[in-house]
Amino acid sequence: MKLLCLLAVVASALFAQQASASSSQWDQPAAALAEQIAAILGPGQTHLTIRNNSKISTDEIPTIRRALEEALKAHGVQASGAESANTIRITLSENLRERLWVAEIIEGNETRLAMISVEPGTVHTEASTSEITLHKQPVFTTTEPVLAALEIAESYIVIEPEEIAILAHSAGRWQEQSRVGIGQKKPLTRDPRGIIAPAPDGQGFIASVAGMACSGSLQQAPPPETWSVHCHESDDPWLLTPPQPAGIDSATTETSRAKPIRAFYNASRDHFTGVVTPSLGADFPPFYSAALIPRADGPGLLINGTDGRVQLLDTSQLKSITGTRDWGSDFAALNSGCATGTQIIVSGSGEALADSLRAYEIPAQEAIPASASLAMDGAVTALWTAPDGKSIFAVVRKPASPGHADPYEVDHVTASCN
Amino acid sequence: MSQQVAIRFRQVAISCLIAALALHAPARTRPHYGGTLRVEVEGDPWQRPGGLARHLVLDGLTAMSPDGTAHPALAVEWKSENEDHRWQFRLRPGVHFHDGTPLNSSVAVASLTAICGAACPWTALHAVGSSVVFTSDSPLPNLPQLLAGDNYLIALTGAGNIAATPGSVGTGTFQFTSYSNGVLMLAANDNCWQGRPFPDAIEIHAHRSIHDQWLDLNVGRADIVEVPAEQLRQAHEQRLTILASPPDSLLALTVSDSGALANPNLRASIALSIDRGALFNVIFQKQGEITASLLPAELTGYSFLFSADRDLNKAHELRGGVTPPPVTITADGGSAMQLAAQRIVLNLRDAGFNAQIATGGLSQHIDLTLRRLPLESNQPQSALESIFRSAGLPIPVLEQSPAGLYKVEREVLDSHMLIPLLYLPRAYAVSSRVRDLRLGPDGTPQLAGASVEDAP
Repeated sequence: MKLLCLLAVVASALFAQQASASSSQWDQPAAALAEQIAAILGPGQTHLTIRNNSKISTDEIPTIRRALEEALKAHGVQASGAESANTIRITLSENLRERLWVAEIIEGNETRLAMISVEPGTVHTEASTSEITLHKQPVFTTTEPVLAALEIAESYIVIEPEEIAILAHSAGRWQEQSRVGIGQKKPLTRDPRGIIAPAPDGQGFIASVAGMACSGSLQQAPPPETWSVHCHESDDPWLLTPPQPAGIDSATTETSRAKPIRAFYNASRDHFTGVVTPSLGADFPPFYSAALIPRADGPGLLINGTDGRVQLLDTSQLKSITGTRDWGSDFAALNSGCATGTQIIVSGSGEALADSLRAYEIPAQEAIPASASLAMDGAVTALWTAPDGKSIFAVVRKPASPGHADPYEVDHVTASCN
Repeated sequence: MSQQVAIRFRQVAISCLIAALALHAPARTRPHYGGTLRVEVEGDPWQRPGGLARHLVLDGLTAMSPDGTAHPALAVEWKSENEDHRWQFRLRPGVHFHDGTPLNSSVAVASLTAICGAACPWTALHAVGSSVVFTSDSPLPNLPQLLAGDNYLIALTGAGNIAATPGSVGTGTFQFTSYSNGVLMLAANDNCWQGRPFPDAIEIHAHRSIHDQWLDLNVGRADIVEVPAEQLRQAHEQRLTILASPPDSLLALTVSDSGALANPNLRASIALSIDRGALFNVIFQKQGEITASLLPAELTGYSFLFSADRDLNKAHELRGGVTPPPVTITADGGSAMQLAAQRIVLNLRDAGFNAQIATGGLSQHIDLTLRRLPLESNQPQSALESIFRSAGLPIPVLEQSPAGLYKVEREVLDSHMLIPLLYLPRAYAVSSRVRDLRLGPDGTPQLAGASVEDAP
């Protein structure tokens, strides 16, 4: 009995807390609308009706009504029964940008209006329930397309189609510190891509974009520290896999450990030509993405061909991988430590308005989903593995909407084992 | 029994085949470069406004982003001074026209002057260094949005143009190749400042009837064809792959305030006598939205304040028992618009008006014109201004707040010179060769961003 009483007390306390928190959300707009209504109507009795034309949950309407009635009361307007001569018809409406609360104040044949804008509410996301769960954390947003980015020496180096931006962490967020032109002489392509990786000496970065190669180093003297960035025309192959991929050391062969894999890039068609160096003993078709994944006899190179076929170089043979029908063009390897240890994180195959990421494992020649899809709320335009191999980064182009000033968002994606 | 076994066997075999195909189905790829997109349209792709090819060949100083705001195009930045009476647009460096002529401020000024001459909304236009400077006697708060529209695209004036299509040398993603026998050929601009488009070429067949367009789509001779709003349901029934915009144009009656309808009560009576439901259900096959407001609810949230109900009693009352002189009506556009106009004539006769379709005589006074007014922006302020402009009501919209915009809308609608009827979508049917095709904010297909699936 005591336990029941205790539960009842806790439940009512929780309910009261929830009601109070919910009420506070609407107090301010209710007060603002009530003030406008009272200025038109003056003190007296009125009949109040509320219509919900918005996405506000119907559960919230009693709370909003209470807030409005209290706010009106504070101005001397008493909400009473339908017999009142005046009527206030409140419509909770909304447009693409904001909520709009409209009061039609009806006195006899005359109707006057009061209108206030209310900030849009927050969007709730559903939690994943699968074995491996992917999580995303927005890192920064920008107006320009991001081709690749790297956090190094307390800076973010961001590769854009025409410039390299350097961000520094300040006031709780990444803010642009400087930018350097890449200086392409050839016109840009439609679907530009780029890569960035830590320099072999660990003191700077190297980057490639179509027809250009860049390098940067941190100049420590004289203070303050500044980045020195140099770009030059180059058709050299792009670094496809980091020099020593983290997480697959135990399975890495001496050859791949010593020499990172590079691939030649077709600068006018935005894909890799299929020629890789050093030679891996097989002829690759032109491809968009590549990733090293651990296999029993050493790492295998997984590629996504321009024809849509996903193939794995395993023991010097290219083998087609099945189960990739839902794959998009971008993938990256992630050493989560869950399940078999390494997963391939793949963008979705949809027409990119609401893209997603999903983890797959490839134990043999079939890709098997290892996580639920992680909604990315936009089109994934680039995907790469973090230098430590334990997370990935995704660039998401957000659909245009009035609230999104910066259409490009760089997200840090991690995995947790369930 | 043996027949059942055979059927079952066939079902299993088909299932296995489908499963096998699914297993080996390739993953989706990034868009390919190459190939030719074949487009068919009912009108002229080079006409202004709305010609499909114009935005492919020509760029504006600004462009409309999907959220309806103006964003940099040939101008990289702009600022207004003197309370929007003076605007300065700085041009993007390094841009060339298709014939290699560099874009500079003098060329841009010459182009804009050639477009509108004395009828431009600004008072004067000057080239100042790498900038184009607009000055105006009245404020132009929405000039960046205005310059993104079809009317102010920058073309190279004078020499170098294709004689048959003046103003056809631009800076856009595609360049004019030819326009003959109703076929407009465009080739990818490899040096475009926006990046080379994915298709190598676009072939636009003009003046094709909707019937022929659909036929060509079905037999694989066309990739993108038009679907009028009133035929959207039929297109769905035929299982065409449809790309439809949200409502992007306003079907409205513009009402002359002279002649038979000079009396505002008669105009109000006409507004109350129209049966929008019949237009929506019968003529436009339940596509789009019924509206009595100029801006759709998505943009304002207040459109419910305007009643779309027909009220014949009130219409008769407003007419005051007087039989007005004959009222003439005309419609811009194709067969659905003509049918809608005929339906409105019947509505007006119900309300006691002697309404008739205009016979087309040059001297005939037109009282009512049924039009489709494009909604050029997703921003309520510039969208409202664009509707006024298209309707021939040059009313500047200086208000931004919902309450302010409502006031402007209410004042115009209370004059009953513009009667909103329906919001209509724009739609296209596409073949399986086309991917990543999107519709722009004005409902036009963004062909430069689309690609051809079987391109090499």
